Amino acid sequence: MTRQQKVWAFILIALGAALALFFGLRALRSAMRMRGEGPFGKPPPEVQTDVSLIRDWMTVPYVARAYQVPPERLFEELGISEWENCKKSLKELNDEFYPQQEGAMLERAQAAVLSLQAQRETPDAP
Amino acid sequence: MSDFLLTQMINYGAPLVALILLLGALGLPVGASAVVIAAGAFSQQGLLNWLHAAALGLAGASLGDALSYAIGYFAKDWLARRFSNSAAWRGALASFNRQGGLAVFLTRWLATAIAIPTNLIAGGSGFKFSRFLLYDIAGETVWVLLYGGLGYAFGSQWETVSDFLANFGGLALGLILLGFGVRQVFKWQKQAKAEAQTT
Repeated sequence: MTRQQKVWAFILIALGAALALFFGLRALRSAMRMRGEGPFGKPPPEVQTDVSLIRDWMTVPYVARAYQVPPERLFEELGISEWENCKKSLKELNDEFYPQQEGAMLERAQAAVLSLQAQRETPDAP
Repeated sequence: MSDFLLTQMINYGAPLVALILLLGALGLPVGASAVVIAAGAFSQQGLLNWLHAAALGLAGASLGDALSYAIGYFAKDWLARRFSNSAAWRGALASFNRQGGLAVFLTRWLATAIAIPTNLIAGGSGFKFSRFLLYDIAGETVWVLLYGGLGYAFGSQWETVSDFLANFGGLALGLILLGFGVRQVFKWQKQAKAEAQTT
């Protein structure tokens, strides 16, 4: 083997081993997290109630669909109009309506979903 | 993948999935694998029609791959002028023409980080376009069905599987480089022995 070939072989093997080790450990950690989820976990509930899964990138109609609440009622609870905000993410809505309070719209959406789901469970409540 | 793209996927559906995958195949850092997983999850939630998303996504990705192949193809003359005297370059081209199909297939869904260089080399090495397209579509189909299927299976928890697959892709790339390096060491040692025996 020439010196140049030795250098190339060293670079390939060292780089390959470093990548495999780094990403292998991260993949293992992700796999551990996956164990109790999706097809490896309990079957998903008929109606999603875990509001911690609501993210900033979601739109109000998407949240309404995922949590099976009426979109117009969710807009009402959030106190914003439907027609001009239906394509905006919660992050964009937060920047528009609560520029000083980071995450406020997300928290309001979580509370509104829980409230609407509770109202549906007790339809006779005043 | 950016939050902006996720929001727009919700708003514009399968045609946007196709556009993002096309741009990803041209080398833009859009997080194409995460898009496919998210599209699977959105299909499970009834937001996208999975067949439309899969068909349009496959078309977008394949078109992007064909365009990056074309970039390599039109740079062929420049590459030939620049490297025609290099034995290593000629060896690499011959090797790609022998095993290029497998490289194209595997880089679509397993070692996705090196898909674009593979497209450019395929175009620049004179690898036949019809063969490229055949292996490309086969690999992209595995990618869309496997990654999209996992997104579908995990539904609202798709981000966990996206994280795992991103790391698994890095692991696969590392193992490929390691294997290639070890193979080259054996090959060069064998060559050196053969040369020593002839002299």
